[in-house]
Amino acid sequence: MDKTSTSIRRRQLMLGAAATAGAAALTHPLSVLAQGAEEIVIGGSIPMTGVFAFAGVGINAGIADYVKIVNDAGGIAGRKVRYVPEDTGYKVDVSVAAFKKITSQNKVNLYYGDSTGFSKTINPELERNGNILMAGASFATELNDPKKYPNQFLVGPDYTEMFGILLNHIAKEKPGAKVAFVYSDSEFGRDPIDESEALAKKLGLSVPVKIMTPAGSVDVSTEVIKLRRAAPDYTIFHGYILAPIPEFITQGKQQGMTSKWMGTFWTMDSSTVMKMGPDGDGFMGVMPFRYYYDTEKAPMLEKIRAMRPEYQSTAYLQGFLTAMLFLESAKRTLAAGQPLNGKNLKAALNSIKDFDTGGIIGTPITISGNSIPVGRVYRADMKAQKMVAVSDWIKL
Amino acid sequence: MRIGTLKESYVADAALFDSRTQKVWLAIAAALLALFPFMASDYWLYMACLVAINVASATGLNILTGYTGLVSLGQAAFMGLGAYTVAIVQAHWNTPFVLNLLAAGAVAMVGGVIVGIPSLRVKGLYLAIATIAASFIAHFLFANLAITGGTGGISMQPARVFGIDLDTSFRLYWLIVPVMVLMLLGAANLFRTRIGRAFIAIRDRDISAEVLGIPLLRYKLLSFGLSSFYAGVAGGLWAYFFRVVTPESFPLSMSIFFLAAIIVGGMGSILGSILGAAFMTMVPELLKLVFDLLPGGIELTVFLSPVRLVVFGALIIGFLVFEPLGLAEMWRRTRRFFHLWPFRN
Repeated sequence: MDKTSTSIRRRQLMLGAAATAGAAALTHPLSVLAQGAEEIVIGGSIPMTGVFAFAGVGINAGIADYVKIVNDAGGIAGRKVRYVPEDTGYKVDVSVAAFKKITSQNKVNLYYGDSTGFSKTINPELERNGNILMAGASFATELNDPKKYPNQFLVGPDYTEMFGILLNHIAKEKPGAKVAFVYSDSEFGRDPIDESEALAKKLGLSVPVKIMTPAGSVDVSTEVIKLRRAAPDYTIFHGYILAPIPEFITQGKQQGMTSKWMGTFWTMDSSTVMKMGPDGDGFMGVMPFRYYYDTEKAPMLEKIRAMRPEYQSTAYLQGFLTAMLFLESAKRTLAAGQPLNGKNLKAALNSIKDFDTGGIIGTPITISGNSIPVGRVYRADMKAQKMVAVSDWIKL
Repeated sequence: MRIGTLKESYVADAALFDSRTQKVWLAIAAALLALFPFMASDYWLYMACLVAINVASATGLNILTGYTGLVSLGQAAFMGLGAYTVAIVQAHWNTPFVLNLLAAGAVAMVGGVIVGIPSLRVKGLYLAIATIAASFIAHFLFANLAITGGTGGISMQPARVFGIDLDTSFRLYWLIVPVMVLMLLGAANLFRTRIGRAFIAIRDRDISAEVLGIPLLRYKLLSFGLSSFYAGVAGGLWAYFFRVVTPESFPLSMSIFFLAAIIVGGMGSILGSILGAAFMTMVPELLKLVFDLLPGGIELTVFLSPVRLVVFGALIIGFLVFEPLGLAEMWRRTRRFFHLWPFRN
């Protein structure tokens, strides 16, 4: 055989191999062949880049750590747990692509979604698929509907319930108080406003002003004047992470406002609040979980602190608790001798009653619907650079 | 080796596909497109549908920006108009999807013509700013009109054909890809007609075009209208694909995405729209696949995710610097090379 024909044959063989590999990747991409039959798989559309990356990185670490704790302890009923995350950049179409990719490659039982848009978009697919229970980063009130979203749940109170917790605290602290709502012009911002206004009235509070700002607004001087005229005792911000809250507080204080300032979950991470600087001292808000550095007895927090000595965000704790509830549902489903599918996993989740989260949430929780309507009001202590609890756990 | 194509009539000269080789390759491409759903996993089918929708919309923008020379940053808003039209029409009248898609195109077309009016007075960056303003107005309407469902948007039932719900990527493929192919053929044919050539004349020098007897008012608005029609139909397909339409579904960054797609792919080229939209949609996903091959587990994924974006950005800059005529030109060069292969050219 001459040299030319050898090289042609080699080239043909290589082309053939490449074509086969390509076809294999197309039909069953990459890791699918390696999956063990008895594994429990948690998939995740996680925003490791993009505007929500500050939370996504924490969520990812939280889920991965809890999975490690469970696997180190032998898994769930002898089954190992595997966590398969994929970056989404916080874009719905990329999140759906991640879902399709992960579910094509793995037999996924549990899934973490990164946004309200994704939760709504993927819901028909979850119902059609029937094998997956999903939770995620969204606390949208719309998702707190077991009939419309039977295979999903929220890891914490929905946004309306967060307002409910704050309003209950205010009604107790200062009956008849005036409460202003400042929120962004987005689905996230507008979510709890109408229902919360009605609740405030029911609790004997008044809402003298509701101010809606563009989502990324920076200059809020006219809105601050409007707010000052209403002279609220409390101002609740919602639909923002940080900006323009510090601007409101700084200008409001300069103009002599005596309002107490409050926020909801995504503003309330310790590192976010501390960025408000000295004017942020006393900033309050609702938090469904304990902070990493809380000193109250919490064995699971101690475990986390042992694994990660540096501060972990509230997003981390949300991811950690999500994995805990996922796997508790899986454990209960397997203990009942039922297959791991969306319906059984959700039923198992809804059987959770007075459940001890190891102190992540400081009170036993019961999940009867799609949310965990529990939270606590914390206040910023800028001197100590910490969030300090100012209420007991409030259950709605 | 191909050394030339002999044309014996004007009809042959004006033919869309002018050689047998081209027709054979097109037949192979059509066969591959038809076979693809039976070979691919759900993930690849999803990506194929997404690419097809983006190709349809990018082709529309290329008609306006690439062929007529009118820069627009309103493509996402026109897609939004189409998507909302489909969602509303389907929810209220439950009409067949073909009608809904045509309605989506028509409504977006009207929007495009209105937004195109400033193009008679302003060009270039100024026109781009005018179209941005239009997209803000569209976003405001989507978020505040009762019929659009406010910020929560509208959730849709799937399209239905002969009693079959088009609710999976496999089924939707048979709707989205043929519509995309029709739209591509339409666009390719457009530039064999007086209208298309008028667009090109306007792009090259609008004053000269007017001197040649091309009414600028009519043709610029027609270009906006056609481009928006494409965006509207693409938006309608998008609505059937994702089945949830919210004001946040069509951000300004999406318009920039399409503009980037036609620049990277090749302005003033149908092939450029295809290659550009495919590049912008697929490369981030392909980079993920490549990065997934690296050992290191979840910790490395977190570290490499931003790196992946940097690589994607660098690739775009690389194309702009080294191939300003886009991927379509690279394709043409490759094709020319093989025309004379194995001889040196």
